[in-house]
Amino acid sequence: MKINAKMFSLLGIFFLIIAVVYTIWTRGTEWVGIPAFFALAAMQFLIAYYLRLVDKEYKTGASDREDGEIAEYSGTYGRFAPWSWWPLGLGFSAAIVALGVAVDWWIFIIGIFVGIFFVTGWVFEFSKGQHKH
Amino acid sequence: MTTYEYTQDETQSRVRPQVVPVSKGRIVVNWLTSTDHKTIGYMYLISSFTFFGLAGVMALLIRAELFSPGMQVLQTKEQFNQLFTMHGTLMLLMFATPLFIGFANVIMPLQIGAPDVAFPRLNALAFWFFLFGSLMALIGFLTPQGAAAFGWFGYAPLSNETYSPGIGGDLWVFGLGLQGFGTILGGVNLITTVISMRAPGMTMWRMPIFTWNTLITGILILMAFPPLASALFGLGLDRRFGGHIFDPENGGAILWQHLFWFFGHPEVYIIALPFFGIVSEIIPVFSRKPIFGYKSLVFATATIAALSMTVWAHHMYATGSVLLPFFSLMTMLIAVPTGVKFVNWIGTMWRGSITFETPMLWSLGFMVTFLFGGLTGIILAAPPLDFHVTDTYFVVAHFHYVVFGTVVFAMFAGFYFWWPKFTGKMLNETWGKIQFWMLFLGFHGTFLVQHWLGVMGMPRRYADYMVEDGFTAMNQFSTVSSMLLGAAIIPFLWNIYYTARYGKKVTVDDPWGFGGSLEWATSCPPPRHNFHALPRIRSERPALDLHHPELIPLERRQKLNTKVGA
Repeated sequence: MKINAKMFSLLGIFFLIIAVVYTIWTRGTEWVGIPAFFALAAMQFLIAYYLRLVDKEYKTGASDREDGEIAEYSGTYGRFAPWSWWPLGLGFSAAIVALGVAVDWWIFIIGIFVGIFFVTGWVFEFSKGQHKH
Repeated sequence: MTTYEYTQDETQSRVRPQVVPVSKGRIVVNWLTSTDHKTIGYMYLISSFTFFGLAGVMALLIRAELFSPGMQVLQTKEQFNQLFTMHGTLMLLMFATPLFIGFANVIMPLQIGAPDVAFPRLNALAFWFFLFGSLMALIGFLTPQGAAAFGWFGYAPLSNETYSPGIGGDLWVFGLGLQGFGTILGGVNLITTVISMRAPGMTMWRMPIFTWNTLITGILILMAFPPLASALFGLGLDRRFGGHIFDPENGGAILWQHLFWFFGHPEVYIIALPFFGIVSEIIPVFSRKPIFGYKSLVFATATIAALSMTVWAHHMYATGSVLLPFFSLMTMLIAVPTGVKFVNWIGTMWRGSITFETPMLWSLGFMVTFLFGGLTGIILAAPPLDFHVTDTYFVVAHFHYVVFGTVVFAMFAGFYFWWPKFTGKMLNETWGKIQFWMLFLGFHGTFLVQHWLGVMGMPRRYADYMVEDGFTAMNQFSTVSSMLLGAAIIPFLWNIYYTARYGKKVTVDDPWGFGGSLEWATSCPPPRHNFHALPRIRSERPALDLHHPELIPLERRQKLNTKVGA
């Protein structure tokens, strides 16, 4: 992950330089570009910082070593939903919400309630209840 | 065509009987509830290609209307406005962007040796956001006042409630908002997958170029789409709840342009970079050489992405209120990394054993077309030249060369290249070549003359022109060519049917013979979690090392041998 962190830091430095140059050149008069450039730089540094943190915590994994062997990742790799109804439902309820904002408020309310149902379902899809694992 | 004989061994190509019969309802449910990155990727590809067809029909109607002076095809000029607005919206946001996410979804996890993407359910959610949001923007056509008609830039104050009343505009705003969130979620998913789910040994500097470009495009999405969301919510507030964010009195007209183009320019690169990645995958395979200057290609991509965030106001030269020297300089700078890419592609082909199968043909078509678009881009980057041709057909020709050149040519290149990986059958080469030449000639016939139309002064987005303008002959040539261009989709659809019906099953992992990246080290189509076994990854081309150990450089082979022996 070191190289990822480096890539994001480089982008951050680039946007910081551009932000300063642009601010001075426009004499601070352009109110979209200036904050946006600083925000871009901040976002890149944020991601870089996070990646560096993770790297320090978990050390370089087999996927970042030149001599990594496939067998190093044997065993449980992760948990993947085999299939799920919830994304379709949640997507549909988000569409109702958006439609409600565009058309009328009562549609919006329906969308919110449908959405709560599907968010709950999504979150608890693999839950077996407390203490039952 | 040596690769063919290598692929299709008659004795093995018998179709094995399916063991468990699957009912039709089961198939539908499997697709609707899928969290498999490949199935979701196919859904992205299918729906974006459908939107491509719809937007293409709109384009043909526009061209038919411009065939001669006077109104022939459409009843009102308002309909013309709706058509070009929705043509732009569909092509950019419902075709090109999701097409990238589709390709990235199917191919990228295969290329890094991952079993799936990092967040499979989020991936499905992103797709449904995209689909429902797009349909919302589209159903504007069914409302009494019609779809949005203020151009796909939605410039304020034209896009506000006073000048563009009607629910079509509202549906456009919030539909795009919804599908924009889908794109952001997709981008997050792709970045996370690349960073954390690479197979052991697949270091960043061994990733295929397409995966690199997917990562960088994902970062671009994170940088560009939130400003669009904020702009759209502002516009929605103005339209629906009486806000005054984009009122001209408050400088809202320029504010909108800044916000929109802060998204709009990187968007062009969001849809260009991944398709550069596709041709960068194809050219080495059919040149039988490794990619020339791997690292410089990656750096060029990253540089283009970084610079693309700093050039948005070159769309706003004519407003007279942007910093011309800054944006002109930055825009011209982009030509440098783009030139580096061309050097890499040509360097890859240089003295290689090139064969011209369809994917390679489409890649070459891409290079020619995109080069024209890039050159006119440099012309437009110079403010004095831009002032003369801004908002004319010169600009229309320029961005069609850029966007059609990358997205459509590289899309077909990718389809022909990866079709065996998607479906297990090779698309027909002859029909592919017929389609290529129809599309190539049709495209250049349609858009090349538009450069001259623009220089003569024909403005874009006008439904009509006069006989005295002298635009008629060139417009007619353009329209006739556009029909050839549209007809080029027919052989493709026929080819899909023909292949599904009569195509031979591919029984090897790598039907092209010299595929380098990991997707060629698994079966066609791949199993549910992609790999039964992964080869050891020791270079940028693990599949080639696996299938052609004799091609591994001597030095590296000795190192491998000592390791195995020890």
